[in-house]
Amino acid sequence: MSESRGRLAAIRAKIAALEAGGRPDAGVLPFGDEGLDGRLPGGGLALGRWHEIVGVGLEAETGAAPAAFAALVAAPLARRGEAVWVLRRDDLWAPGLAGLGFPPERLIQVCARDEAEALAVMEDALSTAGVAAVFGEVEAVDLTAGRRLQLACERRGTTGFVIKRRPFGGAGKAEAAGSVTASRWRVKSAPSEPAASDAFGLGAPRFEVALERCRGGRTGAWILEAVAAYSWEAADVAHPLRLVADLGDRELAPASERRRAA
Amino acid sequence: MSAKPTKGAPTKAGPQTADAPQPDAPATPRPPFALIETVKQARRLAAVSHEAAALGLYAGQKATDAAALVPELQVVDAEPEADAEALKALVDWCVRFSPAVAADAPDGLFLDISGVSHLWGGEAGMLADFRARLRDNGLAFRLAIADTPGAAWALAHYGQDGVIAPPNGQGEFLKPLPPQALRLGAEAAAQIQRLGLRRVGQLMEIARAPLGRRFGQATLTRLDQALGRSAEALAFRRPATPWTARLAFFEPISAPEDMERVTQDVAAKLCARLEREGRGGRRFEIAFHRVDGRSPSLAIGLSLAGRDARRIARLFQPKLETVDPGFGIESVTICAYAVEAVSGRQERLDAGQDPAVEDGLAPLVDRLVNRLGPTRVFRARPRESHVPELAVGRDLPLEKPAQEVQPWDRETPRPVRLFRQPEPLEAVIALTPDDPPNQFRWRGRVHRVRRAEGPERIAQEWWKQDIADVSVRHVRDYYRVEDADGGRFWLFRSGLYQGGEPAKWWLHGLFP
Repeated sequence: MSESRGRLAAIRAKIAALEAGGRPDAGVLPFGDEGLDGRLPGGGLALGRWHEIVGVGLEAETGAAPAAFAALVAAPLARRGEAVWVLRRDDLWAPGLAGLGFPPERLIQVCARDEAEALAVMEDALSTAGVAAVFGEVEAVDLTAGRRLQLACERRGTTGFVIKRRPFGGAGKAEAAGSVTASRWRVKSAPSEPAASDAFGLGAPRFEVALERCRGGRTGAWILEAVAAYSWEAADVAHPLRLVADLGDRELAPASERRRAA
Repeated sequence: MSAKPTKGAPTKAGPQTADAPQPDAPATPRPPFALIETVKQARRLAAVSHEAAALGLYAGQKATDAAALVPELQVVDAEPEADAEALKALVDWCVRFSPAVAADAPDGLFLDISGVSHLWGGEAGMLADFRARLRDNGLAFRLAIADTPGAAWALAHYGQDGVIAPPNGQGEFLKPLPPQALRLGAEAAAQIQRLGLRRVGQLMEIARAPLGRRFGQATLTRLDQALGRSAEALAFRRPATPWTARLAFFEPISAPEDMERVTQDVAAKLCARLEREGRGGRRFEIAFHRVDGRSPSLAIGLSLAGRDARRIARLFQPKLETVDPGFGIESVTICAYAVEAVSGRQERLDAGQDPAVEDGLAPLVDRLVNRLGPTRVFRARPRESHVPELAVGRDLPLEKPAQEVQPWDRETPRPVRLFRQPEPLEAVIALTPDDPPNQFRWRGRVHRVRRAEGPERIAQEWWKQDIADVSVRHVRDYYRVEDADGGRFWLFRSGLYQGGEPAKWWLHGLFP
């Protein structure tokens, strides 16, 4: 049993090395919670790859929760280098990001005129030394564009975050059949719970997050809370997101159990 | 002998050259021609051709009088804007002769040719080349070269065409000219006329003190400027930069790949000089001088002063296709502006850890700014204001903040998306007028409020404006509300509650 497991691990490592194409591993960015990090390969969000963040319902148009989630995840990264945020619609507001703990002085905003330009700017920024994270708000990333982004990510180990955002009132493009994204997250704001001591008002921002796709990892769904949001400590927290509840993935979880058993 | 005489070569191109119909052939006598303008409800001649002048017409004459005197007079409306445009184009074109060109509206220009005439084998050679090229472009003009702009102007307008005053010899040339040649004000000119002074030489003989007293200080200054006794500042087309390089070609070029190559070559030429002197430029402008006298130009900017020819050429490259080479480009010039000292860089030992801005970020920002425009690439910086839309300023990404401002308050919740225009809310149901709403409709969807926080009152910045303009109508009461699905919104009610008037609600931003 242990012998076969060892062999499996060796094969996995071999495949991982083949996939990386001989490039050194850029490392991972842990969420700081076993329940979440355990599902991700390497114990955290893979760096040097690009990740897709999708909104639900109205959020697919406004992109507030996906943008905040991306900023929270990447906040520790942004403290290491510059961050570039490529926008189509110029409505990102830096004071809000600052409140979440994202360093606004490290953020360069770029307003692209069209989809192709947004992707080109992302690619350009991803392959630049000194840039730690690149965010892009685009409608869709097709297979070719995705591969190009991936190559750009690998050049310097920069991490990309693609926030899918469809135009207001538009139908949006159909999801591409295949994608080379390292992970896909579906993000939605969840009702907040004020701390018991002050029942008045709103609590810290909460997100209902579903990990829909993950290369070399397992899917899952959770409720996460931005722990130190809207406080001066927000800028120094190592893991800005705290796991509040594991929602489980009722449809997928048994299937993956069965596959593991087989 | 003065240390470095300034040479000016004004041309005098009559405004009629700008839009006059071209003559068919010099042999056929041209009909008298004039431009008219409307001055104070009266149509007057603005400029007359030689033929019309010979018939006794003059600028400023009433159009009806002129038509009565010369019935065959052809008239066209004057277009001062088009003349100004044409002069500007001519000024731009003259950069091929000297980088320091100043327009002298409405119909002249100055070239500072100190230190450049030797390229044409002396002033006479330069003047001949200049004359030939202007004539090829079909312009009427008069040229003169002198030590001072004032003397050159006088000689070009009232002297013999093409005269070159030797260094320090302009006094002799100015003496026989009429006093108007000194660019005097109307009043002083009339006074001089009245006193019977017909020559500049007569003015020069008068002692300075009485001259100044009688005709005004301005007259004295103009005389001094013409004679080189006091300096005259010209408003050059652009601050002349000594950082310029030029390549001339044996054969005119027009192929795109040739243009790409010469761009790189001329940039390399300039950058080699910058490198030698330890400097770098922030702005570069390249001009392609075409055989037909036009010179389209391109400009790029760098966020940090630089002198890397390949990088500069690469920034020009995507714009090169917009340059129409016409019948060919015969020379190319590049100028560097905002030149500042740049020290050489040493590779750092920990370069892998924290790459220098010059390596990665600065070229990226330059590429983006030159491709998208400077307003589309920015870093949000705090501004001292409570009004949300004024609290964020946009700076160029690599610009250092001008002054230290307080960072945004992280403790007051602020949305991550802020609409440029607050969006109106419909069907707002609130318990009392100053309560947060219980329900509202936005973009066709009804939201039931579960939790709310507020109000946070943000008023107009009354201390920044006239107190009379301040009104309570601009007071906003902001609420942070959460709907049943978990969506969080930043709403405000505008104005104070007024009996009988329904409260107006707006959505200004979205929280995560």
